[in-house]
Amino acid sequence: MTAPDNAPALRTEGLTKSYGELVALEPLDFEMPAGQCLALVGHNGSGKSTLLKMVAGLLEPSGGTVEVGGEPAGSLWARAQLSYLPDEPVLYDDLSVNEHIEYTCRLHSAEDWEDRAAYLVDCFGLSARADELPARFSRGLRQKTAIVLALVRPLAVLVVDEPFIGLDPPGREAFETLLEETATDGVSIVVATHQLDYAARTDRCVALRDGAVVYDGPPGEVALPSLVG
Amino acid sequence: MPGVDARLRREALVDLRRARRRRRTADMDVMEALYRAYVSALVGGAALWWLVGELGGGRLAAAELARVAANGPQVVGAVFALALAIGLRSGGRGGPLVVEAADVRHVLLAPVARGTALRGPALRMLRFGGACGALVGAVASVLAYRRLGGQWPAWAATGAVAGALVVTGALGAAMIASGARLGRVVSGALALACLAWAGTDLATARATSPFSLLGELALWPLHWRPAGLVGGAVALGLAVAGPALVGRTSVEASERRASLAGQLRFAATVRDMRTVVVLRRQLSQDRPRSRPWAGLRAPMARRPGGGGLQGHRPGRPALVQASSQAGAPWRRGWHGYLRFPAVRLGRLVLLGAGAGAAAFGAWRGTTALVFVAGLALYVAGLDVAEPMAQAVDHPTLMEGYPRPRGAVLAGLFWPAAVAMLPVTAAGAVTAAALAGGGAGAVATAAVVWVPASLAGLAGAVVSTVQGPPPLLAESNMLMPPEAVGARVAVRTLWPPLVSTVGVLPVFAARGDRGAAGAAGAGVGVLVLVALVVVWARYHDPIHEALKQALSSPGAGARGAAGSAAGTGRGAGT
Repeated sequence: MTAPDNAPALRTEGLTKSYGELVALEPLDFEMPAGQCLALVGHNGSGKSTLLKMVAGLLEPSGGTVEVGGEPAGSLWARAQLSYLPDEPVLYDDLSVNEHIEYTCRLHSAEDWEDRAAYLVDCFGLSARADELPARFSRGLRQKTAIVLALVRPLAVLVVDEPFIGLDPPGREAFETLLEETATDGVSIVVATHQLDYAARTDRCVALRDGAVVYDGPPGEVALPSLVG
Repeated sequence: MPGVDARLRREALVDLRRARRRRRTADMDVMEALYRAYVSALVGGAALWWLVGELGGGRLAAAELARVAANGPQVVGAVFALALAIGLRSGGRGGPLVVEAADVRHVLLAPVARGTALRGPALRMLRFGGACGALVGAVASVLAYRRLGGQWPAWAATGAVAGALVVTGALGAAMIASGARLGRVVSGALALACLAWAGTDLATARATSPFSLLGELALWPLHWRPAGLVGGAVALGLAVAGPALVGRTSVEASERRASLAGQLRFAATVRDMRTVVVLRRQLSQDRPRSRPWAGLRAPMARRPGGGGLQGHRPGRPALVQASSQAGAPWRRGWHGYLRFPAVRLGRLVLLGAGAGAAAFGAWRGTTALVFVAGLALYVAGLDVAEPMAQAVDHPTLMEGYPRPRGAVLAGLFWPAAVAMLPVTAAGAVTAAALAGGGAGAVATAAVVWVPASLAGLAGAVVSTVQGPPPLLAESNMLMPPEAVGARVAVRTLWPPLVSTVGVLPVFAARGDRGAAGAAGAGVGVLVLVALVVVWARYHDPIHEALKQALSSPGAGARGAAGSAAGTGRGAGT
């Protein structure tokens, strides 16, 4: 795997997704430079999750292309670069938190991951339960486990879908701090969210309505509630 | 070091799966597993014993043997073609593999080659499918040996080989369709082409397709033809090529199947037929049409100042309101049917035709086929009872109606009964055609048509209204496990048996009795259907009364006394 030089973190050209007659995402041309933190906002059903899943390689575009670091989404290179945190945590029923972390790191060829893992687990107060099965956790604890897994592996792009659902205030605070640290490390971040206070603190805001982009620019130059109403 | 990375990731994947397998094995209850094996062996043995008795043990005459040798390969070939067609259809939708949801997220999205990630599960599926196919093939061949003669070890061996090749070939074809991203249309067309080729061989009694050639391999103990090797090689080729291409399977399809297949397995485990039907539809992307085939005329269109629903207009005569309420389920039913997708309509026609063919076989003397016909009608009935099932699925909506739940359900039976008639008409036509199309055959098929149709639906209605067997119901807690098991079994089997009763008039039509004999039995079936409708209508009050009577033995007597005294608070409380 070789890294394309100076490629944007994400790029879409004419990217579209439809399910039969239903158009989930209108043709989208979009580019995100490396190191940017972007908030994706829009009402329910506006196409945010569809866009993120196509970027992660989970959904196949009906038309157009999507690239991660200059390589097609879903390719080996893109999978090594991009970490996707879904809105609903999906975990193995029969692996403990620590085992999840171990296999995630090994599958991503992470090196010296133990300290990083311990730090993340500690951030979310999971240290005492790290040997338990997340299948027996509450929704919030499962979400915290999924966040740890998304951040413990090497990554250049972080794609997060509705991350604050189910998090308690300390968990939310910890996650926001981690997002800031991750951005400081040069990771490009895309967060789909309804939390407008978080969106207001990002570098760029993209608003979708009925599958089409209705705003793309700095969050300070627009009344954010009008974009999601 | 990309090469080293790939190796380390592969090792991580192997370790992950090994650790999970070890944990599953450690968690397994050995006694429970042994008990399951014992019950399976018992049930399987009983079924085999019944089948042996049903098929009879007499050797065929020389002329009949020659006919089997000439046509048998095509029949086996048709089975192979059907398995292949099912495999191709599954592959067109991203099957046959069902990857765990967590594997989709953590393994398929990791930088691990997908071929590496999916080949293991693909090979395990082929291994298991091959073993099942070999077992079924060997049993079928040993049963055939009783009628066809020869050496039973030879029959068992060729049957096992042919059975394994049929299943692994079909699974391989599914993996090829999935990996090559053939899509639903192309794989559906290929499936139809396979069926047509096998059908042509069957009609012309020639072995031109690889399916029939594999059939020749299956009948080697009867007649050795080297061409059978070609059929075997084709099936083997498919089984080998499938895992090679499986790495290109769509992740989108894998994720969709991952979430649905888990629920489907659970629903099947608790015998929740309704959930099985709904999830299977989602898995095959069988969705209602966004635009109906035709529109229904609005009920208020002809009335001046119309608008709104009939039964909800203030100031209208009570009689009109009552009749409008009665008509609402009828319209609701047809709104649903007019949105049935073409694939569901096609499936219904095929199920109807299959039921007709099986009923014909039962009439000709293979009594066991009556269960196949009943099962086909039951499955078709589950589709046709969809509007009623929707009502049951949304109890809060039902509670909002100004009518008893049972009245709405009974009202939804009638559009379903009409909609079921064309389905079973396909069966009647098939049966009449197979019987030669004479006047007697047509009359018998016509007489059996309506009772079979209504009983097929009635079985589905019973299943829909009663819901899944209450495995964890409070009343079960006091029963011994054997009694709970028997109760669950009866509840599970009862609906398809009601559907099967609809086909029984074919037995009354055997011999010289014909349509007249079937008509008499048909009346009995109609009485059963009427009882089912009444049961659906009064299911809730009956259960409520039974529950109350069981919960407080004195209440019944007090209630009866209260009623007798004219208080009017007896049975209703």
